[in-house]
Amino acid sequence: MFKPYQSTHFFDEMLQENGTTRAHYQAFHDMMNQFTEEELREKHETAQLSFLRQGITFTVYNDNVGTERTMPFDFIPIIVPPDEWSMIEKGMKQRVEALNLFLEDIYKEQEILQDGVVPRELVEHNLHYYRKQVGGINIPLNNHIFLAGIDLIRDQQGTYRVLEDNLRNPSGMSYVYQNRYVMRQVYPEFFNRQRIHSLEHQLSNLNEAVLSHSPKRCEGEPRAVLLTPGMYNSAYYDHVFLAQQMGIELVEGRDLHVRNGVVYMKTIRGMQRVDIIYRRVDDDFLDPEVFNSDSALGVPGLLDAYRKGNVAILNGIGNGVADDKAMYAYVPEMIRYYLNEEPIIPNVDTYFLREEEQRRWVLEHLDQLVIKNVGASGGYDMLIGPHASEEELAVFRGKIEENPHQYIAQPTIQLSRAPAFQEGRFYPCHVDLRVFVMRGKETNVLPGGLSRVALKEGSLVVNSSQGGGGKDTWVLKKGGEL
Amino acid sequence: MLSRVADSLYWMSRNIERAENNARVLGVQLIQMLEASSGESLAKYDWEPVIEICGSLQDFNNQYDQFNMNNIIHYLAFSESNSSSILSCIKMARENARTTRDIIPTDLFEVWNDLYLESNSLRIPEGSLRDIHDFIQRVKIASLTSQGVIESSMSRGVPYRFIKIGKWLERAEKTTRILNVLSDKSKEESLRVYGENYYYWRSALQLLNGYDEYLKQYQPRMDPKDVLTFLIADSDFPRSIQYCMDHVREGLIALEGGKVSHYSWRMYAALDRLMDEFDEIKLQALPIEGISKFLDDFQDQCNKIGLVFSETYYLIEPAHVP
Repeated sequence: MFKPYQSTHFFDEMLQENGTTRAHYQAFHDMMNQFTEEELREKHETAQLSFLRQGITFTVYNDNVGTERTMPFDFIPIIVPPDEWSMIEKGMKQRVEALNLFLEDIYKEQEILQDGVVPRELVEHNLHYYRKQVGGINIPLNNHIFLAGIDLIRDQQGTYRVLEDNLRNPSGMSYVYQNRYVMRQVYPEFFNRQRIHSLEHQLSNLNEAVLSHSPKRCEGEPRAVLLTPGMYNSAYYDHVFLAQQMGIELVEGRDLHVRNGVVYMKTIRGMQRVDIIYRRVDDDFLDPEVFNSDSALGVPGLLDAYRKGNVAILNGIGNGVADDKAMYAYVPEMIRYYLNEEPIIPNVDTYFLREEEQRRWVLEHLDQLVIKNVGASGGYDMLIGPHASEEELAVFRGKIEENPHQYIAQPTIQLSRAPAFQEGRFYPCHVDLRVFVMRGKETNVLPGGLSRVALKEGSLVVNSSQGGGGKDTWVLKKGGEL
Repeated sequence: MLSRVADSLYWMSRNIERAENNARVLGVQLIQMLEASSGESLAKYDWEPVIEICGSLQDFNNQYDQFNMNNIIHYLAFSESNSSSILSCIKMARENARTTRDIIPTDLFEVWNDLYLESNSLRIPEGSLRDIHDFIQRVKIASLTSQGVIESSMSRGVPYRFIKIGKWLERAEKTTRILNVLSDKSKEESLRVYGENYYYWRSALQLLNGYDEYLKQYQPRMDPKDVLTFLIADSDFPRSIQYCMDHVREGLIALEGGKVSHYSWRMYAALDRLMDEFDEIKLQALPIEGISKFLDDFQDQCNKIGLVFSETYYLIEPAHVP
C-alpha cells in the first residue's frame, strides 16, 4: 500500500508538500490503492519479463563484451495536465525552430556570429562544426532537425527547464511506445477512467515528416530508408521499431552503394535508388571518404551525393555544433534573435569555465555545483558536487584547470521526484522527461515522451546505461482530469 | 528486398530447421542407446555416425580427449566451437531474426527469443539425461511453433519464400547427409556381420522421423532399396529429398513469378539436373555398392544449389555449411 513520504526538498510529481495527492494524480492514486502489494509485485515482474521476451533491450559494453539489458520499467506514470502540456508543446516548437534557424544561419551567412550574439570561436572551434564539408548547401525544407529529443527537468518550484538538446540521433522513442504497450497489457485497470492522448497516429506523422524531405533531384515518390549501425548498436531496437512502424527499409552501410553521386541499395533484384536516409549513424562514421576513414559503418561517397542534392540525410550533417553543452547556454539568445520571442521554457543557469571570473567562482563552489564535459553525454565525465568525495572534487579541479574550455557548471537543480515501485516497495526517485519533436512540413510534438527515472535511491543519473529506468508518460486531455 | 535481409531470413530459417533436426537426431540416439545398452561400454559405432551427421568426427576428436557421453552431448548440444551444435544453431537463428525483426512476425521473434534466453542460461548437470531430453523437446516445440507462426501469419511474399526455400534446402541436405553417413556405416558393417546391417537403415528412418510413415507403406522390412526409395524419391513424405526439392522449386517459381530470366536460369538448370536423378526406376536399378557414390554426388549437387541460389540473389558469402 502506498504511503506518502516527506517531499519538502524536491518538487514531487504526485504529492503536494502536505502529503496529499495532486488533483491530476487522484484517479490513478485511488486505483493503485486497490491493489495488494502482492498483486503489484506480480505485475511488476510480468512487465519486466515482457520487455525481455520482446527483445526490447539495449546493449551495454564492458571490456568489449556486450550484454543485452532491458531498461527497468516502473509502472507509476508521470501524468501531465493539459495546460502544462500545451505550454511544453509550444516551448518545444519554439526552441527547435530557433535551433534550426541557427543551424541554417551558421552553415550559410553566419549573421548571428557577425552580430556577436554567439561568440564566433565557440562555433568555429567546435569539433562538430562541419562548415568545410556541408557549408552553404541547400537541403530539403531548409530543415536540419527532423527529430529532436529535448530533455526537460523540473526545479524545486516545479518549473520546467531544458537540461539538454539532442539534435543528432536522439533515441528512446521506441521505449515510449513499449512503455505504453506494456502498461496497457499489464495494468489495463489504470486506463479505464483516464482520458489520455494516444500515441497511435504519431508514427504516421513521423513517416510523413520523413517523406516530406524529398531531395530536389528526386522525381516521383521518394524512397526512404533508415540507416542503422547494426544490431550491436545500443539503440538497435529503436531503429528496428521505427523502421518497422514507418514501413521503411532498415539498411546498414554495407547495403548502400554510391555510384555517380547517386545512392543505391543492394536488393535481390539488383540496385535500387534511395532518396531519403534517416540515419542513426553519427556524422563521424557516415562517409569514410570525408570523415573517419576507418568507419566500416558508413557509405563511401555519401556526402558527395548529399552535396549534389541527390539524397536527403536526416538529421542534417553537422547538427552537433548546436546541441553541445556550451552552445546550450545561448539557445535563449537564439530564440530572441531569430524569433523575437521570449523563451517559453527556460534553461538551467550555466557558467562558462573559460571565463576567468566565472571559473574562479565555480572552483570555490565546486561542492555545490554540477560540472559537465561539453563534449560528453550519457552522464559520463560529470561531477555532482554535493555527492562527490574530496578526491573526486580534486580530480575535477585539476581537469578544469587543465582544460577550462571543455567544462561548464550548473547549479545542482533539485530534480523533481515521483514515486517508484521497485522490489516490493514504494520510494521517491528523481525523474526527467525527454520530449520528441518531429519536423517536416509541419511540426509535431509526441504527446508525453520518455520519462526517465533514477531508480537508485537518491541518485540523479537517469541514463539507462547507468541504472536509470523508464516510466509511461500520460498527457491528459482537456476535461480528462477526473 | 535487401540482399542482406534475404540472406538473414534464409539463414535464420536454415538454422531453425537445423536446430530441430539435430535435436531430433540426438534425442533418437539417446533413446536407442538406452535400449541397446546392456551395461557395456559406450558403443563407438553407435555414436560416430551421429557426430558425423551433426558435426564432424575429426573436429570432435580434436576438441576432446575422451570419447564419452558427457563430451558427446556437450559437443552436439552446447559446444560454441561446433557451429552446428543445437545451441549454436539457436543463437545464429536468433541473431538473424534480430537483424530482420522489421520483416518477420513479432510472434516468430518472441518464440525464438524465448528459446534463446532459456537455452543460454541453461545449466544441465553432467549426465542428467532427463534435462537433456527436456531441452531437446523444448527445441523441437519451438521450431514447430515457429513454422506454425510462419505458415499462419506471413504473407506469401518475398520474405516468406526465402524462409521456405532455406528450410527445404536445409532439410534436403540433412536427409542426404544422414543417408550418406549411414550407408557408409552399413557397408562397413555388412563386411563384418552379414545381414545385420538393417540396423542402420532403420536408424535412418528414425533420425528422419520417418519410421512410422515407412511402416505404413512397406511393413517392417528393412530392404535398403525400399528405405532409399522412400527417403529419396517419395513425393509425399515431407522429409524425402524429392519432396524437399519439389518445394524448393515451387518456392523459386513463386519468387520469380513463374518466369525464368537471365539471372535465374542457372538455378533452374541445377535443380532440373538434380531432379533427373530421382527417378524411382533409376534408384531401383542402382547396384547396392553404387549407393555411396550416388549419395556423394548427390550431396555435392545439393550444396551447389545452395551456392547458386546465394549467387543469384546477391546474398553475402554463405556462412560455413558443414
